[in-house]
Amino acid sequence: MSRQPPLVIDNGTGYTKMGFAGNSEPSFVFPTVIATHQSASSGSASAASSGGRAPPPVAGKPSHLASKRGIEDLDFFIGDEAVANSKTYSLHYPIRHGQIENWDHMERFWEQSIFKYLRAEPEDHYVLLTEPPLNPPENRENTAEIMFESFNVQGLYIAVQAVLALAASWTSSKVAERTLTGVVIDSGDGVTHTIPVAEGYVIGSSIKHIPIAGRDITYFVQQLLRDRGETAAIPPEDQLRVAEKIKEDYTYVCQDIVKEFKKYDADPYKYFARFSGEHSVTGRVSGVPSSSTDLTPSHLLFAHRRAQNKFERFLANRIISVPQKYDLDVGYERFLAPEIFFNPEIYSSDFLTPLPEVVDTVIQTSPIDVRRGLYKNIVLSGGSTMFKDFGKRLQRDVKAIVDGRIAGSEERSGSLMKSSGVEVNVISHKRQRYAVWYGGSLMASTPEFYNVSHSRVDYEEYGPSLVRRFSVFGSAV
Amino acid sequence: MPAYHSAFNGDPSVRQVGNTAVLPINTKIRGPAPIAGDPSIPDIIEESLDLFRANCLFRNFEIKGPADRLLIYLILFISDCLTKLAPTPGKPSPGYQEATKLLSTLAVDTFALPGDAGFPLNSLYHPPASRQDADYFRSYLTQTRSELALRLCDRLYPAEQTLGPDGQPTGQLGPRATKPSKWWMAFQKRR
Repeated sequence: MSRQPPLVIDNGTGYTKMGFAGNSEPSFVFPTVIATHQSASSGSASAASSGGRAPPPVAGKPSHLASKRGIEDLDFFIGDEAVANSKTYSLHYPIRHGQIENWDHMERFWEQSIFKYLRAEPEDHYVLLTEPPLNPPENRENTAEIMFESFNVQGLYIAVQAVLALAASWTSSKVAERTLTGVVIDSGDGVTHTIPVAEGYVIGSSIKHIPIAGRDITYFVQQLLRDRGETAAIPPEDQLRVAEKIKEDYTYVCQDIVKEFKKYDADPYKYFARFSGEHSVTGRVSGVPSSSTDLTPSHLLFAHRRAQNKFERFLANRIISVPQKYDLDVGYERFLAPEIFFNPEIYSSDFLTPLPEVVDTVIQTSPIDVRRGLYKNIVLSGGSTMFKDFGKRLQRDVKAIVDGRIAGSEERSGSLMKSSGVEVNVISHKRQRYAVWYGGSLMASTPEFYNVSHSRVDYEEYGPSLVRRFSVFGSAV
Repeated sequence: MPAYHSAFNGDPSVRQVGNTAVLPINTKIRGPAPIAGDPSIPDIIEESLDLFRANCLFRNFEIKGPADRLLIYLILFISDCLTKLAPTPGKPSPGYQEATKLLSTLAVDTFALPGDAGFPLNSLYHPPASRQDADYFRSYLTQTRSELALRLCDRLYPAEQTLGPDGQPTGQLGPRATKPSKWWMAFQKRR
């Protein structure tokens, strides 16, 4: 009998990525949010009693028609639909800081994501779920209980996100050997983690968090635009979205700020870009550069004169074309935005350690015998690591720290000892954005997956405590 | 990686007043400043103009030598200049001619020396040792400030490239911009 492909579900704090093993991209990516009719207060009450399963929801409005029939708990939406219905329903985020906080919501979220989106019969599939590092075993047990008893899945494997991100990096041509040792830099929207992994096991004591991630970059872009007075052209409700769009489409990592400033001075036409958007109120499809040609170099312009001409044309067009357009210059934020990873000082006043330094500290606090392997395999994952040349710059900076330390110790030894040097490698690859999911897809498509995952038969034999046992695989893949 | 420092920090031959360096500059303005030997090598003024935008972004600055003190002083002066030129309600930014005049006046205006009451960073700067030193330093700074104001104006009002009929730059330089470049003015509010 041919097996159905395992389901790969990566529930993140912000977004859920899910699809079938063997695919190169998740079939569905939507916000991890659920919209229910119950009031927000009862939701937070159940979230507070973390550890155990939340009590079944109490019907918020007895007068509601559905509650009379007793099916009010079926009245909910997830993902984008939930966001769309946020006016009449209350939104809940079942995952906070990577961990599931509201089990009842999560169960319903899984139910709809499997049946309505993936359209799969869970009893025919194995399932691969992801968990953050340092997830308590109780959470794993709860997860197993839901998966086996509510969904009756054939088998379950719960993988650590960082390990999957390491596995995803195997697609890069830079990777010579497939190891599960390395540092994962996972930067999403809210927070950036640097997680050292040795032989598939997370070194929990050395994990470091950086409170700078995608959202902060967006805010920083917005702040730069505001300082320059560009925001006058953008309608207030669109400002954040425009900043986000600029962040995604125009930014890159530079090697040196001063040199970059000089480049812009020398050849403004080459570097300053223009962004045009539409008012979201009048044209829903706004925010995107109005056409793909806008991105070509011939359209990058700078002079105010040109801007004025354009503006006059827009004034003339405004009467005829319904979606109002606006233009703004994109300047130094192109390279300053990702710079806040490397010089947090320019953005925040309370967190001042640059990312390369954090990476170095993480490796230095790890056991000494794995440090070489960790330096050799620094892996990027998550959307906020997608900036052009991000890996290159990180590698250069980490290398500079390491080389400085080696030179220092050589000198202290009286130049008697010579180090053979430490190899520093930052690996960026094509699947970086959904690295965790892709790693899961890769793992779950191997035959070995079925040996290491927990089957339904085992569950019936041992119960939920089964998943406390953690089996790493992939070293032989 | 902290903020950018002056390249002149390591030079021990430079005369110091208090603990601030008196570095040679390229200028046509008369004054007591030592004249830089080779005009093609960027002097401290050029350096402050280059580093201004980058260093403005940083909140902390560790002073590594006497030249850094002069650098900071000049950077603070640039930011004063930009504030002076910023448009206020009812009064738009001045044009190139007017701005040059305005900044030259600002440059020769009376200003506080290290040790005086109004000086912004008194804790970091030592006052000049003698009356004579103070006078010398004042005239040196006045000269440097005037030269800086001139060069800043050149950068603030870049000559625009003329645009061809298709809206693309033709490579020829047109007249100077009528407003100070917004790429500079954006940094006025910082620090």
